[in-house]
Formats: sequence, structure tokens, C-alpha cells
Amino acid sequence: MMRAAWTLLLVVAGFALQAVSYFFLAAPLGVPTGPVYSNPRVPFAPAVFILGVMLVFLAAVVYELLPESGGRTHRGTG
Amino acid sequence: MSVQVQRLPYGVGRFQVGFWLFILVLLSVVGWGIYAYSRQLVEGLVVTGLRDIGTMGGAAWGLYIAFDVYFVGVSFAGITMAALIRLLRLEELRPVSRMAELLTIVALVLAAFSVLPDLGQPVRGIVNLLRYARPQSPFFGTFTLVISGYLFASLVYFYLDGRRDAALLARIPSPLQGFYRLWAAGYRDTPAERERHHRAAFWLAIAIVPLLVTAHSTLGFVFGIQSGRPGWFSTLQAPAFVVMAGVSGIGLLLVIAAVFRHVLGERERLHEAIFRWLGGLLALLVLVYLYFTVAELLTTTYTGHETEVRLTLALLTGPYAWLFWVSMGALVLGLVALLLPYVPSVVPVRVPSFRPAFTRAAGLAAAGAGLLLMIHRHGPRLAPAAGAGPEPEWVGWVLAGLAVVFVLSWFPLFARSVVAAGVAGGLLVNVAAVGKRLLIVVPSQTHGTLLPYGPGSYTPTWVEYSVVAGLFALGTLLYTLFVKVFPIMEVAEEQ
Amino acid sequence: MPRYAMVVDLDRCMGCRACMEACKVENNTPTAAFWMYVFRFEEGEYPNTYIWFMPRPCMHCDNPPCAKVCPVGARYKREDGLVATDWDRCIGCRYCEVACPYGVNYFNWKEPVRNYYLDWGERDVRRVTNGQTPPYRNPDLDRPYGEEKRRVAGGGRLKGVVEKCTFCVQRVEEGLQPACVANCPAFALHFGDLEDPQSSVSQVLGRKHSWRLLEELGTEPRVYYVGAHPAHPESRQIEEVKARV
Repeated sequence: MMRAAWTLLLVVAGFALQAVSYFFLAAPLGVPTGPVYSNPRVPFAPAVFILGVMLVFLAAVVYELLPESGGRTHRGTG
Repeated sequence: MSVQVQRLPYGVGRFQVGFWLFILVLLSVVGWGIYAYSRQLVEGLVVTGLRDIGTMGGAAWGLYIAFDVYFVGVSFAGITMAALIRLLRLEELRPVSRMAELLTIVALVLAAFSVLPDLGQPVRGIVNLLRYARPQSPFFGTFTLVISGYLFASLVYFYLDGRRDAALLARIPSPLQGFYRLWAAGYRDTPAERERHHRAAFWLAIAIVPLLVTAHSTLGFVFGIQSGRPGWFSTLQAPAFVVMAGVSGIGLLLVIAAVFRHVLGERERLHEAIFRWLGGLLALLVLVYLYFTVAELLTTTYTGHETEVRLTLALLTGPYAWLFWVSMGALVLGLVALLLPYVPSVVPVRVPSFRPAFTRAAGLAAAGAGLLLMIHRHGPRLAPAAGAGPEPEWVGWVLAGLAVVFVLSWFPLFARSVVAAGVAGGLLVNVAAVGKRLLIVVPSQTHGTLLPYGPGSYTPTWVEYSVVAGLFALGTLLYTLFVKVFPIMEVAEEQ
Repeated sequence: MPRYAMVVDLDRCMGCRACMEACKVENNTPTAAFWMYVFRFEEGEYPNTYIWFMPRPCMHCDNPPCAKVCPVGARYKREDGLVATDWDRCIGCRYCEVACPYGVNYFNWKEPVRNYYLDWGERDVRRVTNGQTPPYRNPDLDRPYGEEKRRVAGGGRLKGVVEKCTFCVQRVEEGLQPACVANCPAFALHFGDLEDPQSSVSQVLGRKHSWRLLEELGTEPRVYYVGAHPAHPESRQIEEVKARV
């Protein structure tokens, strides 16, 4: 359960970071009519976007490597 | 655990003299590339053949960008194979899965490295892209999705897929045992773990497929949405990039699979069905690409928009004609070679009627002479100055014809062996892929100016050739070294 | 906020290229870089030929393809309409250059100090100049400009970055005309504020029919041409400049 929760959390967080950084943190989209279009609204917003992409795929690693909740008891799987 | 291994499989950890010699050659080429790049760092990009578009009559993007596009294209193979195997349950392709994934990773590393020399300020490039990158620029997708996301996703997939084998190898005493144990990270190949890996890999494959399309498309959009460059501005650009990526990636995978089939003597595991399957897929992709090319040429010439026609003529009959027709010829010949094994054996293939040995000798001589002629005539120039060289046109065409005869002379072999056909097809389509990448990048700059600057030219210099050669050597080096520390194929159940 | 624009009166231009010269002196551009360039065209067949000239600065588009594609925002549009290049931020990818339909961008292919028409530091030159270096390095070009305080003036600052016509931002901000306009002996070039009905650009545009280069691309250039006509396939360049660094 813990595993699924962590994985889902990472995927959701990753996509959320991507969306937020793409649309709200990075430089605005549209016809560049002023200097505001040349600067990200938050510095290093593109790095946040990349972090988001990585989190989504990191979820797979977490899913496979996270130990079963409750230590080493493998429930019914041996 | 059901699988037992006594010694490291597939030549892992065994180093012969030949191997070290090979590494030495690769290292020296890499070193030469680094030297060339250091010249460029010191002198500036003036040591390349690149120049400004317009009054300087040059191309601002050249070999580096073309090979960046090519390397990103090659990376198509790995993820596609992984996705195909997982989603379509093509179990018989399993043995090439890791080769393909490694090809993806190496190709993406090379892609990142081939952009760097194109930048005038490489250090600034790395910092400023992370700091300021704008989503509106088509480069945003290229470096966030392709270089970072795609590479990371491939690494994750590769890592997870390799855990089982790492766990197996960790039981064999070897100097690399610690590395394998680290990689396995506690994997014990229990049914539960296996089930979990299958599920994770399945979802990863599903997540990667849309990334595949977007990543290769963003690279197409770098060119496709620029209305100021005839020949670039086209809706077909992004889809054509995806298809061409498949062509070059699968083509190279065929070659690599054949190399390992030969070097490792794994004729059983790398069986012909794999080559037949990959060859069929490649032939299909080539057909789609040829269709795109025809559609593109018709669109640009039919309406007769002056600048588009000028550019298309430069491709078909002008200074780029030799590259265009060599690429198209390689694509078509590759397609035919790939399809030959499918010709039913009741239909005898009687292409050449001369003795093969004679034809091959003639063909080789022709290819060599053609190369010498090209170099003598233009220097290794992409767009020769008007009226360069005293040789009449027909000499080139005769040589090209002989080269075709050379390829044709091998056709009986291709009809017999699907592996040989795959290798020939893979090599030919990769020649075409490089050519087409150059034809996308360069002519639109030299012959696609909308103001009447007149035609320009672009001649790569030794620095550019050396850096690209160094990149290829680096890729081969990384690939070869990895093969020596980790099995390139999944360790078989029966071992 | 003003809306700066340039008007090129082709009926007045006599192709003397004083603007190109003035631009080089003012902005210190390296060899083979022509931020302002004057096409010299010939049309028709002998003896019915016709010669005309077309200056080509940066168009300072309102929908600039270069600023759109710049991955790091080094190329940007200022509020007053100037399309500026921040050479402190440019990474030298040259995407602006391939995206620009007008071909106005120039990359610093080598160390600019070694790329002026005369290298004042060279031994042979020093022997003649007696070690004197002419004051060619204008301190105005190093200062940051605009509310955003970014280094956008001048040329030949740094190896490996792209630069282009700035509309002489260092002069415009002080209320002067760009160098090409101020030095045109035929008064063929006008520069001013479109918002101001008294400015010379507004006056000329109100009086004469105007057109812009490659209007069909939707780049919305801020450089207007009056007189003559856009170059077409029959316009042959008298001499093609293929100056290479």
C-alpha cells in the first residue's frame, strides 16, 4: 500500500511540477512584446520542469525498490 | 532461484588483445576529436565552415546540428523496442532489448555532446538553459524532454530491466561483484519481485510512448515552425522526424545485433526471426518516409512559390543534388535489400549476371574513385561553388552507377540470408539518414534566403569532421566498454 | 512609452552606403558584419535597365521570430519596440539567426578584438601608429540600458555570441538619432516615435504609401519603406557581398 501511495504521489507531483513550471513559473508564452517574455517568472523554472519529468520516471524505481511496508514480511508471496 | 550461472556470460570481464587494440584506436580518435574541439574553443567557431546567413553567404547551423538530430533519431530504437516488447508482448525480440536500450542511452549522450560544440558559449549554455529557458522556444522541448527526460527515462528503464541479471551475476566471484550487488539492490528474483517488475516496466513503457512521439516531434518543430526558412516550414516536419528517427534507430540496431551474433557466436538466441521482424519494421518505416518525401516535394513544387521552388531545385538538380540522390538511392536500395528475403524462393533472384567477384572489385574501385573525385572536385564541400572542377557531370553518374552495381552484386546473398540483408539495409538507411539530416539543416540556410542575398555555400572543415568522428568513437567506446562489464543480452533461463 | 520605427525613403536613397560606414564606426562591429546593409539592385535588360538601392537594417519586428525562438531570452523585445540582444546572456546557439527571414544576425565567429579591420595590437600596425590606439572602444557601449538594465548596446563584445542592429540604443536613449539616420546625406532614413504625430516618421508615413519587407510572414516589421517596391525575382544584386571572416 505504502509503495503504491509513494509511487502515485511521485507521478502526480512530477506532472504537477511540469505543468506549474511550464505555464506559471517559466517565461510566459505569447507574442513577445516586452522584456517580461524573456525572463522566467521564477529563476531556474526550467530546472523545476526537468525535475518534474525525472520524478515521474523515478516513481518506477521507487515502486520496484521500496521495501514492503512492515519490514521483511512478504505477504503471501514468499 | 531457478537460474544458475557458473561464469560471467557473453564475454563479460574477458579482455583479449584485440579488444585492447580496438579500445586504443577508439581512444585515439576520441583524443583527436577533443584536440579539434580545443582548437575551436580557443579560436572560436571561425575554425568551422559555419558562417552567417545573408551577406556572409553561409550556413549558421551545419554538421553539429545535423548529427545532433541524427543521434537523437538513433535513440528511437531502444525505447521503441522496449515498448514493443512490453506492450505487444513480442517475447521473441527479448534478446535485442538491452542492446537497443543501451543504443538509446549512448545515442542521447552523443546528442547532448554534439550540441555543445555548436554553442558559441558552451559553459553559459549549460547554466543559462537551466536558469532562463523559455517554453516558447522549440529548444525547450529538445533539452528538457529529449536530453533530460528521455535520457533519464531510458536510464531508469535500463536499470530496472538489468536488476535480474545483476542479481544473477552478483553470485559469481568476480572483481565486479560489488558493482552487480549495487545494481541488483536486493533483487532476489522472487515471483513477487518479478511480477512487480513486469508491472513497473509495463507502465513505464506506456509512459514512454507519448514521450517518444513528443521528444522526436519537438526536434522536428525546431525546424518545422520557422516560416522564414523555405523547406523547413512544413506540417510534415515533425512526423517525418519521428519516422526518420525510427529508420536510423532500427537500422543501426540491426547492424549491432548482427555484430553481436557474429562476435558472441549467439546464432541460437539472436535467431533469424528477430532480423526478419526488425527488417520488416524497418522496411515499413522506409516506405512511410519515401511517401513523406514525395508528398513534400509535390507540395513545394506544385504551387510554384518562388523561394520554395528555388530550394527544391537546389536539392534535385543543384549543388546538393549529389547528396540528395545518394541519400534517396541508399534509402531505396536499402528497402529493396530488406525486402529481398521476403521474395519467395520459387521466384529466382537473377539481378546480376556477371561474376560477383568482378562486379565487387569494379564496384569498390568505383566507390573509391567516386570519393576521391568528390574530394578533389569540391574539397569535401557540401555545396560546391558554381562550375567547380573540370570533370564532366557524367563521370560522377557513371561512378554512382557502378556503386549501385556493387550493391546489386550482393543481392543473391541478401535473398538467402535475412541477417546480411538486415545489415546492408541498416547501413544503407543510416547513410541516407545522415544525408537527409544534412539536407534538412543546410540548404534552407544557403539557398533559402527570402531576401535576394544570392546562394550561399557551406563546407565543413576538418574540425567539424574530427569532432563528429570523435563523437562516433566515443559512442562506440562507451558501448564496447559497457558490453565488457554487463551482459548485453538477458542471461538465458537455461544457463 | 514611445513606439520607435524607422522609415526608409527609397526615392531618396542613392546607394552611397554612408549608413553602413556610420554603423560600423558607431557600433564597432567586427569584420564582415553588416548590421546595416544596402542592397544595390539592377532590373530589366540592356538598354532598359534601372538601378535602385534598398537599405536593410534589423526590422525590429513586433512579432519577432528571433525573440520567439531564443531559448534563454537573450533576444527580447523592449517596451519601446527595439529588439535587443543581451550579449551577457546569449549562449551562441544561433537559433535567432536561422529563424530570422531577413538575415540580419551576425555571430562573433572569433575573438572580436582580433577581428576588426585593423588589429591595433599587432606589431606591424603598432610600428605605424607608434603604439597609439585610437579611441574606438566607446564606453557607452558597455553600459546596461532600459528599465530592465541589460547590456544590449554595441557589437564585438564577446566571442561566440550573436549580435545585430540595435537601432543604436545607446544614442536613442539619449535622444539622438541612430548613427545611420544621422549620417545619411540624402535624408533617406528617418527614425522616430510613431505615437508622436509630429515625428518625421509619422509625417512621412502619413504622406506616402508605405510597405514592409516580407509582410506576408506576419513578422510586423517596424521598418517601413516608401517609394520603389519590394525586391522581386527580377531584382539582381549588382555585387553580392560575400565577405567572410
